[in-house]
This record gives sequence, C-alpha cells and structure tokens, in this order.
Amino acid sequence: MLRKRRVLRAAVMGLVALIVATACSGTTGGPGATGTAKAELAAVQELTVATAADGYRNDDKRTTIGMYPLNANIFDTLVTLSPDYQVMPGLATKWEFRSPNTYRFTLRSGVKFHDGTPFTSKDVVWSIQRIAKQGGGTVGVSEQSAVAVDDLTVDITPKGQNLRALQQLVHPTWSIAKAGSDAAKPMGTGPFKFVEYVKDQRIVVEANDDYWGGKPTLRKITFRFIPDANTRVLALQAGEVQISDIPKESAKTITGDFTVSRSKVGAYEAIYVKIRPKEGYDLGQDKAVRQALAYAIDKKQVVESVWQGNAEVIQTMIPPAILGSEAGRITGTDRDVAKAKKILDDAGWKAASDGIREKNGRKLQLTMVVGFPNADTHKPMPEFAQAQLKEIGIDAKIVTTPDTASYEARLAKGDGDLWVEAGSQNDGNPCFLPDLLFSSPIPGGDEESNMYGNSFAPGESFDATIKRCREATSTADVQKAAADAMKLLVDEQFVVIPLAGTYRINGISKKVLDFVVHPAGVQQRWDSVKLAK
Amino acid sequence: MIGTKSRDTLAEAVADADALAPASSRPGVLRALLGHRTGVVGLVIVVVVALVALAAPLLAPDDPTRVDALRRLAPPSPDAPLGTDNLGRDILSRLIWGARLSLGTAGLAALLILTIGVGLGMIAGFYGGLLDDLLMRVVDVLLAFPALILALAIAGVLGPSIASVMIGIVTVAWADYARVMRGQVLAARERQYVEAARATGVRDARILARHLLPNVLPPILVLASLEMGGLILTISGLSFLGLGAQPPTPEWGAMLNDGRAFIGSAPQLMLFPGLAISIVVVGFNLLGDGLRDAFDPHLRD
Amino acid sequence: MLGYIARRLLYLVPVWIGISILAFALSLIAPGDPARQVLQQGGIDAPSPEQVTAMRRELGLDQPGPVRYVRWLSSAVRGDLGRSIRTGEPVLQSLADRFPRTAVLALIAVTLGLLIAIPLGIISALFRESSLDQLARIGALVGASVPSFWLAYLLILLFAVRLRLLPVAGAAEPRNVILPALTLAIGAAASLTRLTRSAMLEELVQDYVRTARAKGLRERAVIVGHALRNALTAIVTVTGIRLAALLGGAVIVETIFAWPGIGKYVVDSIFNRDYPTIQGFVLFTGTIVLLVNLTVDVSYVWLDPRVRLGARNR
Repeated sequence: MLRKRRVLRAAVMGLVALIVATACSGTTGGPGATGTAKAELAAVQELTVATAADGYRNDDKRTTIGMYPLNANIFDTLVTLSPDYQVMPGLATKWEFRSPNTYRFTLRSGVKFHDGTPFTSKDVVWSIQRIAKQGGGTVGVSEQSAVAVDDLTVDITPKGQNLRALQQLVHPTWSIAKAGSDAAKPMGTGPFKFVEYVKDQRIVVEANDDYWGGKPTLRKITFRFIPDANTRVLALQAGEVQISDIPKESAKTITGDFTVSRSKVGAYEAIYVKIRPKEGYDLGQDKAVRQALAYAIDKKQVVESVWQGNAEVIQTMIPPAILGSEAGRITGTDRDVAKAKKILDDAGWKAASDGIREKNGRKLQLTMVVGFPNADTHKPMPEFAQAQLKEIGIDAKIVTTPDTASYEARLAKGDGDLWVEAGSQNDGNPCFLPDLLFSSPIPGGDEESNMYGNSFAPGESFDATIKRCREATSTADVQKAAADAMKLLVDEQFVVIPLAGTYRINGISKKVLDFVVHPAGVQQRWDSVKLAK
Repeated sequence: MIGTKSRDTLAEAVADADALAPASSRPGVLRALLGHRTGVVGLVIVVVVALVALAAPLLAPDDPTRVDALRRLAPPSPDAPLGTDNLGRDILSRLIWGARLSLGTAGLAALLILTIGVGLGMIAGFYGGLLDDLLMRVVDVLLAFPALILALAIAGVLGPSIASVMIGIVTVAWADYARVMRGQVLAARERQYVEAARATGVRDARILARHLLPNVLPPILVLASLEMGGLILTISGLSFLGLGAQPPTPEWGAMLNDGRAFIGSAPQLMLFPGLAISIVVVGFNLLGDGLRDAFDPHLRD
Repeated sequence: MLGYIARRLLYLVPVWIGISILAFALSLIAPGDPARQVLQQGGIDAPSPEQVTAMRRELGLDQPGPVRYVRWLSSAVRGDLGRSIRTGEPVLQSLADRFPRTAVLALIAVTLGLLIAIPLGIISALFRESSLDQLARIGALVGASVPSFWLAYLLILLFAVRLRLLPVAGAAEPRNVILPALTLAIGAAASLTRLTRSAMLEELVQDYVRTARAKGLRERAVIVGHALRNALTAIVTVTGIRLAALLGGAVIVETIFAWPGIGKYVVDSIFNRDYPTIQGFVLFTGTIVLLVNLTVDVSYVWLDPRVRLGARNR
C-alpha cells in the first residue's frame, strides 16, 4: 500500500516535471546575425517556410497554384506593388492611359519563361483571356479586353469603365503564364521555377538563374502547409522551418535564435467587423443597433492589451499609406458606453432582467461569424468584443469557421449578423476593399466581389462613389473618392467597424537575411532573401 | 485516440470480464468497492469533482467570463490562484465552472445513452423475433462507424454547440449498450426467476421492470462508469475542434484550445485544463475498475 | 472456414446497405436547400422560385428521397461518389488519395501499441503486485486518461523542440510518422496493456494452465502457447475496434501534426457542410470498418475454433 502510493506519487511528480520542463524552457539564446552586408553566407541556400492550410484551387473553373493565396514567386505580374503601396514596373516597363478606358503596356524585352521561350504580348493576351473565361476578375475583363499591338505592346480595355485597372493588375491572380501552359504545371517568368506541388503538403520552387531581375541567392524554397498555427510556431522553434507566419498571440514566444519580423507602421492588414443588414438577420437593418455597435468596442485595448501592441487603432480599412492625407477625413468611432446605451435606449431597445435588451419582444441577440482568413487570426479579440457588447446589453453569439473556404461558404449563405474579417490591401487601388466588400452585386460580374456585395451592399449612393473612384484620373481624386466611400460606410451608415490595423508578423530564424515583410501577404517577395552561415 | 476511447473501454470491459458476475453477489458489491483501494481513490476523485461542479457558484472566486484585458496572462498569484488567461479571466474560476459543463454534459450524455441503450437492448432481448433482428441490424450499422466522425458529422449538420455534440455522441453510443444489454437479458431470461414469474402470469412490462432490470443493470452501470472517462475526452476533443462549447463558455477542451498559443510563454493556460481533464478521467477509470473488480471477485487485487 | 467467411460476407450485405442509407440520410436531415446553396454560391443572393425549381430539377432533387437514394447508391457502386461542393474534386478520388496516409498512421500506431502492450501486460500479470506491475498499471491508467491533443503538443515540445530528435509536422519523410503514431499508440497501448493483463490473469488461473504446468511444460511454453493464445481473442477484438476507429481518421492528431490524411479532410468538409464528401466518407469508411470487422471475425476462428459455433454471431 505504502509502496504503491510512493510509486504513484513519483509517477505524478515525474509527469508534472516533464510538462513544466518542456513547457517553460524557451530555446537557448545564440549569437544572432541580423546584419546584412557583412554576414557570411551559408553554403546551402535552401529555405523552408511554414504557411497556413493549402488554399490553392485546382479545378476546371479556377486554378491558382503558385499564385494565390501563397505567392511562390513563380510568376510575374505586369505591374507590382511595393511595400509602401506604390505601383512599380514588373513585366511591363511603361504604361500609359489612353482615353476613354484603355491602358497600354510596353513589355520588358529579353524576358524568358522558365522553359526558355521568350515572353511576348501573346502570353499576356492568353493569361487575361483565361481570367475572362472565369468571370473577368476584379478588373472586369472580357475575352476581347487584351489586344496585342505588337510583340511587346499590349492594350487592356476592361468591360466597363475602370481606371483602377492598373492598380488592380498588381494582384497575383493577374499573373502572366506562358500561353497555352497547363495550370497544374505553373510556367512563369518569375525568380523561382516550379518544382513540385503536393496537395496539403508543400510546394517547392528552385532558383531561376536567368531571372530578368537578377539571379536569386536562394537555390530552393520549400513552402510547407501546416494548418495548426501553434504547430507552425513549434516547427519554427524546432528549426524545421526558418520562416513562419505566426499568430499575434504567439509573438512573445519567439525568442533566442528567432526573432519577429513585422510589416511597418501605417501599412497594415485591417481587422474589421461588418454588419449584415439583410433578411434573416434583420437586426442589422436598425441603424441604431449598428451605431451602438460602433461605440461599444474599445479599440485601444484591443490593440494594446489583447494584441500586445502588434497593431494600431484604425478608423478606415484602407491603410494611410495608400489613402494619403484623405485618411484624416474619416472621423470613426471609439468606445463610448454611455453614448452607445443612449442610442439603444432612444431607439426603444430596453434592457430586460438578464441585462440583454429587447424591443417588441425581440431580444438583441446577434451572431458573430469569425473565420476570415481563419479563426486564429482574430484570437482572442472576438471574445473580448463579446464581453464589451454585453456591457451595452447586446448578446453576441460567436461562431468560428476554421478557414477561408468555410467562411466564404457561410457568407454565401448570409448566415450571421456580424462578420469579423482581416482585409489586406492586396493591390494598389485605394478603393479595393470598399469596392470588393460593399459594391452591389453585378449580374455575371466577378464572383468573389458579388459574393461579398450580396450581403453588405449599402446601395446606390455608395455604388456611385465607387463608380467615381473607378473613373477618377488623378491620384488625388481617387483618394478623395475612396475616403468618401469609407466615410459613408463608417461615419454615416455604420455598416463596418474598423477595429485595428495589424502588422503582418513572421517568426524568422536569425540566420535569415534581407527578408522584408510585405504588408500584403500575397505580395510577399522571396528573391532578396539570403541565409547566413 | 479520442472518440475511439469510449468505444474501447466498453469493448475492453466486455471482452475482459466477459462474464460480469451475475447479480447474486450484489450485496457485497459496495463493501467490496470500499475495500478496493484504487477504487476508493477513484470514487473520491469523482465525488469531489462532482461536488465542485455543483458548488461552482459558491467556490469560484471570480466570474468565469469576466474579461479584464489589463491583467491578461498573469501567473498564479493570491488574486488569481492559477493565473489568468489571454483575456485576463481567472483560470481557477473557469476550471470550476468548466467542471460543471464537462461533467454535466458527459453525465447527461451517459444517462441518455444508458436509457436508450438499456431500453432497446432489453426489448430486443426479451421479445426476440423480427424486432430483435431489426434492432440488432441498426446496432451493427452504428457500430461500423468511427464514432467520432459520425458525432462530428451530426454536430456539423446541426451547427456547433454543446447540445449538438451531445446528440451526436448519443446517436452513436447507445448501440454498444443495447448489444451488451441484449446479451445480458438473453442470459437472464433462461434463469428461473423469469420463468417462474412468467408461469404465474405476470405481465411482460412488470417482468422487465421488476425482475430483469435489477438483475442485469449493475454490470451495465459498471460499463457506464468505465465509459465516463472516454466520454469526457470525446466531448473535450470536439470542443477542442471548435464544435462543442462556444465562447465564452468555460469548457476544459475549449480552454486547452485557447491556451495553445501560450504553451511556451504562459504554460498555465494549457497545463491546468489538461490536468483537470486527466484527473477526472483517471478518477472514472479507477472507479470503473474498482466496480468491475467488486462484481468479479476473482480478479480482485 | 471458407463457408464461414461466405456466411459472414452474406451477413454483411444488409449492414452495408444500412450504412449507405445512414450516409444518404445525413443530407436529408441537413438544414437548407442544396439547390439554393449552389445558386447562392454562384452569386445569386435571392434566387427566384423558378431558378430554384430549375436547379432542383438539374440536381435531381425534385425526385422523392428513395429514388435519389437508389440513384446515388447505384453510381456509388460504380465508383462515382459525386463531386465535392468545396473543392470541385471527385469525392472518391480525394478520399482514395488521402486514405493510404491515414492507413499507414493507424497501422503503425496500433502495431506500436501492441508491441508495448503485450509484453508489458504479460509481465504485469506474471509479476502481479510487484513494483513493475504497479508502474505498468499507473502508466496504463495515465496513458488512457490524457487527452491526445494535449499529449501531442507535449511530445512535440519534448522530442522535436527540446531534443530535436524528430520532425514536428508534415509527411515529407518516413520519420514524420513517428510522433503522430506515438501519440496515438500511447492511448492504444494504455488500454491494451490493461486488457492483456486482466485477460492473462484470467487465463493463468484456468485448469489447463495448471495441467500444463503439472505436465512439466516449460513456463514459457505455457504462457505463450496456451495462456496468451487464449487471451488473444480479447486483444484482437479491441485491437480491431481501435484500428477501425483510427482508419476513420484521427482527426485531431492529423490536424496538429499536419498529417494530410482523411480525418483532417473530412473535418474541413463537415465545417463546410460539403454533403457529397461527408456522404462519400461515411460510406467509404463504413465499408472499411466492415472489412476490418470481417478480418477480426475470421481471425477468431483461427485463434479459437470453438467460435465457429457462432458465439459472436449470436
């Protein structure tokens, strides 16, 4: 009996010791090389990167291997987006706008595809036509939109009036592939050549030494799909991968041989809550409810406490880097409990005995859907927001979806009141996010845009502002129209609450040099990266 | 591992003690259990946790859903004995309230499983014939499924909530009990007291309730206690996948899920809920072992 | 023996049909109209009744349930489980692509579990109440009580992050299987050890063991040749059940270790309410489980000819 107890105790102690030892020990610190020029380069330049679940589509309708959402730098686009949101030359060296609705691109000469065939205007025409067959994408192209003027000149004329085409073409879905190539074997002009793609496991690329932008130092990159964010962090700490995007909550865990790399202030991924004012979830039709929601959440605490400073308070989803000085015109909202309560009181929403407000026998209960691009991105903000909504008498039920696909499936059904998303400024068009998320659906238009617009479009006056944005010719006018659109959404209609601008956070090994985090994940470049000894 | 567990302990117990002793030895069972050292440990653990769950409002030092962003991830202190989580909520209070949910859900699920399984198993065994055949085919179909997946599918169809998890589990898990119960009834039916009751013209329902049930139920209860641990693991596993308890409800599996990101920086978030689940499951396993041994004296320690 | 197998196979037919009905029924109890869902995903927010009717006809939903079931089943037997709503891939193809990896993981985990459990269980039974027995029993108790998702992270922290002996996640190299298999094996080993121990204890007090000993047979021959062989029936039963469950996908472990098996895939489908995939999955794994059960039943006959009388058959 006594002996047994001793054995038991020893076993329990052992287990606890094991847990504590493994859990508490960080990685041992080592001399980290963060400099660039002076560091000696490693002989083997092979990088392994951990990314979230495999999001590539590969079906008859749409194939995005190597392009989106993970940009493996196999392809180039005509124009690219710098980390401070400037449109830069890519496969096109020059462009000119030709009234009323055409962009003429002068293509880079001497560029070769990975199989050695020269890149010409017919590849551009073919790639644009492929998107036209899939519905026309964000630009809204038809099969006649792209016209080869000569071997190195292409005209692109969108179906409808759209002067933002240039800024939209930076998005990797507008990648230029070799005419007639098989999408399952990506053939591009980018700094890396496709080696293999194993669904749900990895995509591997190797250096393209003939790259027009210069030979990359890295010889090979393996991108591994690891759906569990915590496993990604552990894979980084175990030295299995050298770069991984990590949840904001894990940033503190990254110490020792590893460091955290953030995109810079002012260029962020916006976290926002959209309010669906459509049938089935009609509580959002009540403007007072929307307005009260906007005043309920303490953005400062979200940023400083919940996310430990890995974000900034925002009043617009469009980063100031791209909205310019117009950003200041959007007043926005911040936590004001008294005001929120008064708005609800005045609108006839009275608190019942359980503290939850009621009107005409209907409880103020809202469903909050969290999951774009995945639920981990937002943790634990939704629960924090839930607690704050409760304080003003709103009962929010949280529903999480694990990944983008399931979030969008739910969105297509419109099943929910509040929609928590992270929106990246993925192209150079200031109106990108408001247009994508709030424009009224156009029959036969871009599928993705229609899906979002279906649920949230505020209607005619917003659409008119977006139209102005699409048709503006000067940067100042575009920014003005974009700001007007945001003002309408945030200050007048309260259909979206911008909460926080989060910096893209990557945990990286200190051996990784010259890795510049792009604020838009899909624009991430890998060809400057090197590995130190 | 999760989900297979519940199925497993049951099969294990059946395969293991094949002949759970007939009810003749019952008067000695409680005494035997109390004399069974590890069984008593199990009993104590289960009773203590059950009491904690019942007295949660009295015991919990704090509101388990009170968010306080200013004291997030605090290490254990007199203010928060087990520290606070990523939203500054008191972990001890969440564990205590979580006991209510974890134990309550598992207990209610077990009750439903027992009622349905025992009821249908008795009917099948007692009446036999076409009804028996039909029921047993249904049982065979259900047993041919990985339990977790079917529970997942049902919970997925009904939408994520603790109730749909329970419905999912019950839909699958009663089949095991029905099969075991039917076997017990078949064996008991041949015994004299049933024959005697029948001969004196007692109604079927009465025979079932008064004569058969008390004799065949105890071994089933042993199985149930052995399965409780597995049930708790299954429920917390489904919550871990996000299908069970929805935020901010404190549930142990969901707490583990929330704590994952802090395994390196604030281990209390994963350590304590994990220990809580393990301890309760150990408790039920020990209790089940003790009960089994008490019924089956020649295996007793 | 062949006759027995034939009889068992025949018996499986109605059970298999039952499984197919259950699989099909999942789509009937599902909320929402699939036709509306397809239209909405195609970008039509509020489809007109005419559109819905047309789509229902196109999808064959205007037919009564039994007709749809027969249609679905007849294409299923021909190897066509339809296409996934979520990915557009043929369901059978995506299940067949992923299943081998789940099978490998399950087989290794169960084998590992048996390799730990049988020797440990025998030793534990032979040296009953010794410290070794106590330790084995505590180990088994703890192993059966720890949540797998918790264990998974602890094993990664210890073996991959601290000791750097094993890879964290993925399926790129053979070594990748070790940690997920170990996570699953610990659970399996725990219950199998308990089972082996008590089955052996039961056998060791039987008359035939005493007789064998009295006849002067060597101890090892008695244990391995007689007691273990008889105890195996119980072990095979539980092993079969556990294997069958793991073949359905160890969902959590596959997700944590980024093991691209069937479990992770079907959970994603469940979250997406991708009914063709869920139905196909249920039918697919149900069939596999039936085959595993058949194998277990056949092995009984091999282990213990008395079973042929139909004890398990009822």
